[in-house]
Amino acid sequence: MAGEDLIAQFQQLGMSEQKAKETLKNVNVTRNLQLALTQTKLPLAEGAGMLLYHMATKLKPQAAEHMPLLVKYIADRKLDNTQRVDAALEYVLRCVQKKNSSLDVAELERECGVGVVVTPEEIERVVQQKIKGTYKEILLQQRYHFNAFKILQEVRSELKWADAKSLKAAIDVEIFDLLGPKTEADSKPLPKQNDKQTKGKENVKPVLNAPTTDAAAEATDGANTIAELMKTKVHFHAPGENYKTDGYVVTDHTERLLKEHLQRTGGRVQTRFPPEPNGILHIGHAKAININFGYAAAQNGICYLRYDDTNPEKEEEKFFVGIRDMVEWLGYKPYKVTHSSDNFQQLYEWAVVLIRKGLAYVCHQKAEELKGFNPPPSPWRERPVEESLQLFEDMKRGKIDEGAATLRLKLTLEEGKVDPVAYRIKFIAHHRTGSAWCIYPTYDYTHCLCDSIEQITHSLCTKEFQSRRSSYYWLCNALDIYCPVQWEYGRLNMNYALVSKRKIGKLITERIVHDWDDPRLFTLTALRRRGFPAEAINNFCAQMGVTGAQISVDPAMLEAAVRDVLNVSAPRRLVVLQPLKVTISNFPHAKAVELQVPDFPQNPGQGTHQITLDRVVYIEHSDFKLDPEKGYRRLSPQQSVGLRHAGLVISVEQVVRDTSTGEVTELVCRCELAEQAEKPKAFVQWVSQPIELEVRLYEQLFKHKNPEDPNEVPGGFLSDIAENTMSVLRAYADRALSCVKAYDKFQFERIGFFSVDPDTTAKQIVFNRTVGLKEDSGKK
Amino acid sequence: MDTELSKLSELEVSTTKLQCKFASAEQPSIDDSPDDLQKLRMENNKLKLRLSVINQSITDELKMTGDSHSEDTLSITEHLEKIFAQAIATAYPAYSDVPVLVAPVNNVSAKFGDYQCNNAMGLAKQMKEKGISKPPREIAIEILKCCPASPIIEKIEVAGAGFVNIFLNKNYAVDALTNLLRNGLKPPAVPKRRVLVDFSSPNIAKQMHVGHLRSTIIGESICRLLEFLQHDVIRINHLGDWGTQFGMLIAHLEDRFPNFLNESPPIGDLQAFYKESKKRFDEDEAFKKRAYNRVVTLQSGDPNSIKAWTLICDVSRQEFQKIYDRLNVTLKERGESFYQSRMLSVVDLLRSKQLLELDEGREIMWQDSEKTGIPLTIIKSDGGFTYDTSDMAAIRHRIEEEQANWLIYVVDSGQSTHFNSIFKAAERCGIVDPSLHRVDHVQFGVVLGEDGKKFKTRSGDTVKLSDLLDEGMKQSLQKLQARGRDQVLTPEELLNAQEAVAYGCIKYTDLCHNRISDYVFSFEKMLDDRGNTAVYLLYTYTRIASIARNSGTDFSNLSDVLNTHALALDHEKEWKLAKTLLKVHDVLVKCANGLYLHFLCEFCYEICIVFTEFYDSCYCIEKNKAGEIVKINHSRILLCEATATVLRSCFNILGLKPVTKM
Repeated sequence: MAGEDLIAQFQQLGMSEQKAKETLKNVNVTRNLQLALTQTKLPLAEGAGMLLYHMATKLKPQAAEHMPLLVKYIADRKLDNTQRVDAALEYVLRCVQKKNSSLDVAELERECGVGVVVTPEEIERVVQQKIKGTYKEILLQQRYHFNAFKILQEVRSELKWADAKSLKAAIDVEIFDLLGPKTEADSKPLPKQNDKQTKGKENVKPVLNAPTTDAAAEATDGANTIAELMKTKVHFHAPGENYKTDGYVVTDHTERLLKEHLQRTGGRVQTRFPPEPNGILHIGHAKAININFGYAAAQNGICYLRYDDTNPEKEEEKFFVGIRDMVEWLGYKPYKVTHSSDNFQQLYEWAVVLIRKGLAYVCHQKAEELKGFNPPPSPWRERPVEESLQLFEDMKRGKIDEGAATLRLKLTLEEGKVDPVAYRIKFIAHHRTGSAWCIYPTYDYTHCLCDSIEQITHSLCTKEFQSRRSSYYWLCNALDIYCPVQWEYGRLNMNYALVSKRKIGKLITERIVHDWDDPRLFTLTALRRRGFPAEAINNFCAQMGVTGAQISVDPAMLEAAVRDVLNVSAPRRLVVLQPLKVTISNFPHAKAVELQVPDFPQNPGQGTHQITLDRVVYIEHSDFKLDPEKGYRRLSPQQSVGLRHAGLVISVEQVVRDTSTGEVTELVCRCELAEQAEKPKAFVQWVSQPIELEVRLYEQLFKHKNPEDPNEVPGGFLSDIAENTMSVLRAYADRALSCVKAYDKFQFERIGFFSVDPDTTAKQIVFNRTVGLKEDSGKK
Repeated sequence: MDTELSKLSELEVSTTKLQCKFASAEQPSIDDSPDDLQKLRMENNKLKLRLSVINQSITDELKMTGDSHSEDTLSITEHLEKIFAQAIATAYPAYSDVPVLVAPVNNVSAKFGDYQCNNAMGLAKQMKEKGISKPPREIAIEILKCCPASPIIEKIEVAGAGFVNIFLNKNYAVDALTNLLRNGLKPPAVPKRRVLVDFSSPNIAKQMHVGHLRSTIIGESICRLLEFLQHDVIRINHLGDWGTQFGMLIAHLEDRFPNFLNESPPIGDLQAFYKESKKRFDEDEAFKKRAYNRVVTLQSGDPNSIKAWTLICDVSRQEFQKIYDRLNVTLKERGESFYQSRMLSVVDLLRSKQLLELDEGREIMWQDSEKTGIPLTIIKSDGGFTYDTSDMAAIRHRIEEEQANWLIYVVDSGQSTHFNSIFKAAERCGIVDPSLHRVDHVQFGVVLGEDGKKFKTRSGDTVKLSDLLDEGMKQSLQKLQARGRDQVLTPEELLNAQEAVAYGCIKYTDLCHNRISDYVFSFEKMLDDRGNTAVYLLYTYTRIASIARNSGTDFSNLSDVLNTHALALDHEKEWKLAKTLLKVHDVLVKCANGLYLHFLCEFCYEICIVFTEFYDSCYCIEKNKAGEIVKINHSRILLCEATATVLRSCFNILGLKPVTKM
């Protein structure tokens, strides 16, 4: 019915039928357009219809009151291009900070350049100036590969209201004039060198302040580093411009409050990382840490570490310490460590204010009554203010039983939850406030108020909290206090992993894993122990970006980021995991010799270490085969192999076997100098006079992607444990590895990346395998 | 070697496991202990925390009440007592502990002052005994000289033989009434107690009759009074829900409704049911035997008997609740059955203190060591318990478990001997400590018929309470109709007025007499709209309430009005009304001290009379001949509002429901 009419009307604005239909699906735009249509007469002048549409898509709800004016200006052709409409939208949005303020029409016209006409001559003059002047050299050099957009931008900054099409045409003409027609070379893509740079795999160090090329980064949501991400991909509001964001609620006090806020912060970006201290951090938290700390750092702002310790039941000292450790491990330093409980008194006083204003009441419905959909409305909602005040005081004084009363806010959340609870009684001592309180505020109540107290500019949280945004704003406004802006981003989930505290606890008590930092887990301590560099985790988070979509990734993605970092930072060493003794019958030296070996063969300048070569060497058992299959490249009775870095090629003379099992226990080989021998098909790693290492190899703990999903794993996550996910080997290593300390990281050549486990003692060195060399090395 | 290694590491793992077990065995961790132990530990921790929070709250509240003895919440008499205590102590240090005698002067002698201190005569007498001769007038002058200045006193004069007359300060009165208008009537500050009021207490399977009416009405008002004074009040209905009569009721139920276990029996008239069973009990030996047997099965907790008992109690309970709802009475039920186990333990207590004596097979207890009065029968010769036992168990429960430090029993005068014995016995065995606990038997007289005899129906039965209330409703409607109110009021307003009058007059008649005396029940007198009756008070109240409404000005927010219009008490009648209103704290304290509500009724009546005097001589709203308002006296209307505020609070205590239209 109305739909048909609307489509017809939309088409009159200049939309195709298809577009009109699509537009109809967008409720907000349709509503704006409908409103706009009531204020003007169809048909409109050429192009004005689509400008109206443009306006309708971009108008923010808080500026909606000014729509009639915009419609009039568009219809009157005072705003005759998108640029002017955008300028007008920007201007009216700036004005909404002050509630019910009237627009200064003269200023609006000035801002939008109403009536300003840029003549073609003017355009030509400025364009010529640019192309024949500033850009001449570079244009002659790069020819048509030069991005002309830059010129356009620059001209535009001088001729603000010039028509984009005419500008573009003028630039094209001038460039043609300068360069002549395109040659064949101009049409070819640019050589690879550029490609490599943008890919940036070698670029591991954070490229702080490094200018990024426009084209490179725009293709994906992510970036290589957090700093880059925060500077190029994130488009949050500027401090103090809270009122310009979607859904922000402007009240009579907003202007004053924002002004005071700016005075307190000096316009600095302030964020916070607010974990509940009831568990340890996992990979999902790494994203939150990076976004909050990273954004603040990128904007020269500050970030608080705030323990959201409002629930006295779940807090333990070790979690507090653990959280801070992990934040620092990731390379961030909190501006200040705060606790929600610091604000208990203020929060209480505010609750009293809310009761006084009739916005909160004491309710006696039981927790069970409020569960489920459509719980019955509270019969206590309209009780007298005095009564609620007295009862709230009684709650605080310990006069009311646990569960017999709560303080509820008169507010309905987007998700339909009615009157969320702000305070409940808990006769439990709090680790910081002791027995001073027996009423504790809820997350819903506390979170936004603590943000406000700390003058947070950007309250960054995961998408699940989007439905709490309106209550967040409601509460701050109900109390007439500074209201931060909440921005949401998608959660980061890791496949094949568990992060629930309770479930990990179960894995520990079932002795499936050893502890919270067992390297098979995805807690941050586990990742550290496994040898993941903090930098790799941060880069990984950067690659994931800050979009609203929830992301689920395989561990392989994270491992790839780890390899990228370790490749250039972990020195190489020779280690054999399952040694096979090789005696060189014609060892060319009188005694053992020392060899200098580079730490990074691809970059010998980065240092060397010494290894020993002796008559007896050990090679990997799997590098020798009695009966090789076709295509086998390493040592066999018929095939020689090179010893890496030793300059020797060995070939088998004799195979010594265990008489009882038939197992090969030793080889006797002859050697030739590499430069004299026929080039072997492969070089293998080896050690001489080795020391013994304990090497722990880990495999993926769960068989299924989502071990907690009852469809995927009907038997529950405990039934999904893969077998033999940890194995311990006695490996042989060169003595160069005898002085290592915990978390030192190495590449064991031809095997993978390994990290020294904190279990390491003077007697026993323990290594964990961080990742294999190649992505598929984990799967067999 | 590999297999050995793996064996070794397996062993290592199991050693670690064992070590963990050892560690947890040595140091019992909460996690590993059985569920209920863990629960109890947690519960214990919670209780500890709650205790510390409450203790802190007590300290805080004490601090607050400590300095909140502002002039506002102290009654005038108390304030003056303090002043004169100080004056006497300064003038005659030797007599600093004599009780100060200060009382309001009645309205007639207002020119001699508003309050009077009468200590001079007594002091003269006491001095004379010690050989000092001093005329009381001289003493009075001495005391006057030593009186510290007070904002509430305008002047003090010595009159006659030695009376000290005190005149109130008008500015104080203006301030006090302004506060009253802004904040409502605040209770006078008194030490807070935890009070348990035992009232109403009807018997299961019997109708409530007019005898229960008095206990219910007086008890409810006492609770309201004490609650207004900020005491912590527990209202207990000591139902007669246990005893031998249940044997016959259960036996009869089994015969009449054999299927009662599966289907609720439709006992419409429990009283008739009771009579039937009583008749069979008296006439049928076999039935009697079975009835006794049912007493045993009930007391031993047989599920079928318990079920029957519950069914019977529920029928009564519903009937009682209807009455309580009509009278707007709140009670917590705690019948005699509740004290079953506590009777056993109170016997143990008495026995361990060697207070029980054998007497012809019974075990008795004397209320004091001199063996005066009638002893309590704690255990009957057949081993059963008596009312004495259950009342001892109840008083112990109330003091020791409920932690009440003021017990009030609202029971007719006929039981005063019994309760005196119980109170004394409780003191003797250490349950009640007079230095900590106050125990009152609030007794009352009987209700008489207009013939001056015990109130009965024409047929000679006791009057059922529900019938009485119905009759009240009927009569009140007639009264309203006679005045043509049914023509003016909406049906809803009429019903409100009807209920307010009917229940109000029944309650008020009961409360306005000294409760100890008997009174004659007469609807005619109750519904009179002249004299000290509920109807008169309610009418006066509606008239006061209508003044502000008719002024054409908004008096809904008194604070706002006070911001622009000050209260003035220039006219003699204004001043008199103000002084009357300011006595409210004195009256409330007096009522609470003796648990007498008729003082409050008299006070309400006095307010209405003084108000009428004021209203007759002072214009609040002046109109011209055309009936248009020409002038509004804001101050006087504020005074009307203050009167309404005080009356409203008093009405609430008396259980009268003020209506704005009637």
